[in-house]
Amino acid sequence: SCIIEERSFVRCEDLVYGRMSFKGFNPEIEKLMIQMNSKCKEEEIEVDDKMEADVSDEEMARRYETLVGTIGKKFLRKRDQRVLKDDDEDEEVDEDRNSTIIPRKKAKKMFLKPQD
Amino acid sequence: YWVDSQQKRYVPVKGDHVIGIVTAKAGDVFKLDVGGSELASLSYLAFEGATKRNRPNVHVGDLIYGQFLVANKDMEPEMVCIDSSGKSSGMGIIGQDGFLFKVSLGLIRKLLAPKCEIIQELSQLYPFELVLGMNGRIWVKAKTVQQTLIIVNILEACEYMTAEQRRQALAKLSGN
Repeated sequence: SCIIEERSFVRCEDLVYGRMSFKGFNPEIEKLMIQMNSKCKEEEIEVDDKMEADVSDEEMARRYETLVGTIGKKFLRKRDQRVLKDDDEDEEVDEDRNSTIIPRKKAKKMFLKPQD
Repeated sequence: YWVDSQQKRYVPVKGDHVIGIVTAKAGDVFKLDVGGSELASLSYLAFEGATKRNRPNVHVGDLIYGQFLVANKDMEPEMVCIDSSGKSSGMGIIGQDGFLFKVSLGLIRKLLAPKCEIIQELSQLYPFELVLGMNGRIWVKAKTVQQTLIIVNILEACEYMTAEQRRQALAKLSGN
């Protein structure tokens, strides 16, 4: 059914908050009064406004991109770390001398059979 | 739709803000008199920033402004001095001095109406502090005892005075 029972008069007649102070007798209560009474009017507006972020969304995305790389490097095994370093060095060298040096083969992961 | 009636006896209602008088302290719980058929209970943890070690400084005979957490006709009413978000927002122990008196519930509703003339006119007179409980109790505090008593008398008489008489009385007072 669509009947709601409301036993308090506060809701029916939109009564204000019961604690009041006038002419600066109690500054905290005066602040409260403004807060309470503006809550009724500005409730809807507050819900729409989001909190202003200190860092913008774009910056967050950029940060995360590099972050994943750096944290990922931490968990690589030693061999993989060395290989990564070589790759980086080779890349830098290539840029300087126009790829005269052949990049080293990637020697990771494969199990090398011991030669008899 | 609601039924408007003249009442003097208060019936506890959930969510209502009332002024209660501490009558007893039973271990962790205070017993408050709110003018209803039963005493309301108030736990010492229901204050802002209260922990088991950090108890609120409440004694018998103190005035408390709080709201009802539970209030139906089958159970003893329970009060708290804290919001649903954990803030006190003006509730708690009402300070020293001041004057507590009782009026009918209809007058309280009139005074709490959004744009109440009585309150607006009174606020022009002197600086004072006012706490209205939905159980018919009003607490007033002004700078001197005389000013407090004047405000008390005006509020009590407002029930039966017309707007004209009230304005005359206030004009006389602000003239003096």
